[in-house]
Order: sequence, then C-alpha cells, then structure tokens
Amino acid sequence: MSDSLDLTLRGQAAAIAAGELDPVELLEATLARIGERNPALNAVVETFPERSREMLAAAPRGPLYGVPIVIKDEWPLPWRAQRFGAAEMLAPAEPGESAPYKALRDAGAVIVGVGNMHELGASSTGNISVYGAAHNPWKLDRCPGGSSSGPASAVAGRLVAGAVGADGVGSIRYPAAYCGLTGLKPTFGRSAMAGHHMAEISTTIVSGALCADAGDCRALDSVLFGEELAAGEPRRLRIGVLGGELREDVAPGVREACEAAIEDLRRETGGEVQEVEFPELAAATLATVLIANSESLGGITPKRLNDLDPELSPLGRGLLKYRVLVPAIATIKAGRVRTMARRTLAQLFEEFDVLASPTVPAVAPPLEAPVVELPSGHLTADEANVRAGALANLTGIPAVSVPVGSSEGLPVGLQLQAAWGRDELLLDAAEAIERANGRRWVEATPPALDAEPLEA
Amino acid sequence: MDAPEHSDDFIPAALAAYGIEADEIELAVIRAAHQTLWPPVLELLDLDTSAVPLERDPDLSQAPPSR
Repeated sequence: MSDSLDLTLRGQAAAIAAGELDPVELLEATLARIGERNPALNAVVETFPERSREMLAAAPRGPLYGVPIVIKDEWPLPWRAQRFGAAEMLAPAEPGESAPYKALRDAGAVIVGVGNMHELGASSTGNISVYGAAHNPWKLDRCPGGSSSGPASAVAGRLVAGAVGADGVGSIRYPAAYCGLTGLKPTFGRSAMAGHHMAEISTTIVSGALCADAGDCRALDSVLFGEELAAGEPRRLRIGVLGGELREDVAPGVREACEAAIEDLRRETGGEVQEVEFPELAAATLATVLIANSESLGGITPKRLNDLDPELSPLGRGLLKYRVLVPAIATIKAGRVRTMARRTLAQLFEEFDVLASPTVPAVAPPLEAPVVELPSGHLTADEANVRAGALANLTGIPAVSVPVGSSEGLPVGLQLQAAWGRDELLLDAAEAIERANGRRWVEATPPALDAEPLEA
Repeated sequence: MDAPEHSDDFIPAALAAYGIEADEIELAVIRAAHQTLWPPVLELLDLDTSAVPLERDPDLSQAPPSR
C-alpha cells in the first residue's frame, strides 16, 4: 500500500477508477501514514477518521473519487470551524460547507485532515502557529513556508498527494517553493472562495492547490475552479524575466537554478527570453501589504485589540495593533498603485506570455530565525519574499511556483506569472519545464523520508 | 524624517490616541514593523498618482479596460 501513497494525485485517482486501488484501503493507509510521519512534520493539525470514512462512503464517482486531500485551516468544514492558525481570529468562524469543501466533496475526494498554517496567515515562513510550527520535510529545522505551511509540508512529506491552500500575499507559492512543490495562485475570482471568513471583503485571497507537479495541480485546481483546466503545449513562448532586485538580489544557488529553468522553458517551447523592468514593483509590493492588512480591520475596535487572546503570539498581537496606525491616505494611494500596476501589466502581457522570477530569493531559512542572506545583506524572509510574491495578489493575475532545482539541499522555486485568466498557460509552461528537466525536481524526494519514523 | 527618529514619540502617542494598550514586547514588535514599513510608506505618499485613472471596484479577474 505504501506505493499507492507515493503515487501522484492523478495516479491515485486513475488507479481507483480502474479498480486497481481500493479507496478504503488508501484512506486507511493515508491515516496510518499521517500517524507515522506527522509527529515530526506537524503538517496536519487534526484528523477525523470517522468523518473521512463517511465522506468516502457517500462520495460520488467524480474525478477525484477516493483521493485523500488535506485542506488548510483557513476553510470551514461542516464539522469544524477554521482557526486560521491562531488562538483568536478577527472574524467570527463557524463550521460550515465552504466552497472548497463542497467542490472536493462533489468531486468524490476525501478530506483526511486540516493543514497547519502561519498564525492569521501573516507570514511567508510558517514558523508561528497556535498548533506549533509545521516543519519542512527537506530539513526539519527549516521553515515550510507560509502561510499554507501545513498543506505544503503534508504533500512534500507524502502524507497526501494534494492539498488545498489559500494565497493572499504569496501564501501558496512561498511554501510551494520552500518544499519543492508546484503551487498555483489562480486568477482572482476563478477558484472556490465562498465560506472563507474574508470572502466578501478580500481583494487578494484565492484558494488553490499545492501538489507535486503541474498535472496534479491541474486536476485539483479544475475541481476548485469548477471547470476543466485544459492542457496545451505552449509554442514560441515569449518569456519576460523580471529584472532589478528580483534578478540581482537573489542567493547565487537560487539564481543559477532559476536561470537554467528559464533556459529550459525557452528551449522546450522554442521561445524567446528578454529582461523586463517593472518600474512600480516596490510601490506595488507595499500597496499589496497595505491593502491586504487593512481589509481585515473592518470589525476591529480598540477594545478588541486590548482584549486579544494572550495565547496569540506577541508578534501577531503587535502587528495587529500596528496595522491600525497606518494612515488611511497610504491605503488610498495603494489603490492608485494597484491601478497603475494593472495597467503596466496589461501592456507587458501584450509583449510577453509569462513573466519569470525566482519565487523566493533564498531557500527555506531556519524555523528559529527566518532570516535570509542575499547579495544586499541579511533580510527577514518576509521582507525578501514579498518582493516577488505580492504583485499577483495586488493585480489579480495568476502565478505558479515550479520546483526547478536545489541549493544547500533545499528546493528552489521559479515563479511564472501570466495575464488574467491564463492559469492554464502557467500549468502548460510548468509541464514544459518538467519535460525539459526529465521531471527531476517534481519527483525528488526529501531524504528525511527515507528514515522511518521521521525524527524531529 | 525616517522611522527611527520619530517612532519613539509617534508610536506611544498614536496608540494612546486610539486608546490601544501595548505591553513592552508588543511595543518592540510595533517599533520594528514601523521601522521597516514607514520609509516606503513615506515614499508612497510622495508618489504622484494624480494622473492615474480612477477605478471604482476594479474587476480583478480581468485586465483593466483599455483607456
């Protein structure tokens, strides 16, 4: 049974559909593997075996019939309210049928657990959570990335073949890059969002898949999108490589791997590569942070901030209070920057099919001190990561992180961004990179998984 | 004026004006966040956006309408 646990998500689905794999046995084996490996990873914060068995018993013969999935602690389930990785949320949370839950249920998938996440979704590292940090399966003392830390750790640790995360400021792509996975941040509004506690007010957050490869993301995201994401073969791809600090202020090993992958993509598609500048990038990055941070404040009062749960981390409490101090004019200006950035991108996408950059400028930093060393010096991982991660959330465009190499024994991710609605093209391009490198990086396995049980 | 020069005054004063309490650790976090965020905020405020077309509730699922 362990072989079936290591299949791709679509491999599991196909084997079940062909009658070669018993979904009941797969579910029980998955729960057993979570029991074995999760103590070291802390990727899954809750399982509910009876609920999962009931879900399988009632599952329709959909495209993901019988496939075990982990869902981030950002989505309510009928039997469990989300906790957002925190001792206290700013918004009310109740159990319910969130849209991702319904999409998975209707596709026949089986939710086997809830994935850990960074507290309040507020960091790219995943090193703070009410449940304790999730760990990176590649090196257990390293950050798994955030805020979808648990979904990434669960898939990279081969607890499950697919997980549902959410991306408000890079929160699918950072952990995908840190854990060696493929993660798609869909075009705003294309994937299932209803039931999220910010669904009615957020202009940055989307749901999306984290999987080993682009084919699995295509399968799981098709379910979340409610439409088939058709595969194609990109030809003569016009690749823009984002310059400036996104190209220059990058750790050498990351830069080398990303440049090799861009060349792979160019060669595989018979395309062309050109460096491109995005003059408003710094302002766009700040605008994203200001907008994302302010959208959660509508229900806040000073009294509420004074009465925050003491179990919330000091960092979380301090940052919540600081958000209130940012002047309104800055957020209004951020809206103008959003308009500027969207117009600049619209022009760029007339010249380029995809824009490429490292997803993050350095590999996963230590959980104890998430600081990265770049040519410009030491930066917190959050300061460094947001540079490439924010633009897609600000403007609504899709973006994907693709595993393309290794540095210091840790995965490297390449980010590709495309015009609105061209999510399929990003998956096609990711698959072109996989073909070019012989699927080397999507099939790479964390060495720690060879040790049973994993030792934290 | 950069953040380190004025944050010792600004932060306690602003928190007090809102009636928000903060312990020493929270204050340290707030100061650190302010030192990181404030300089780019000032740059943003200096940015001339008067020529940027106004957009009400932009549809983020699509490209912006052409001018």
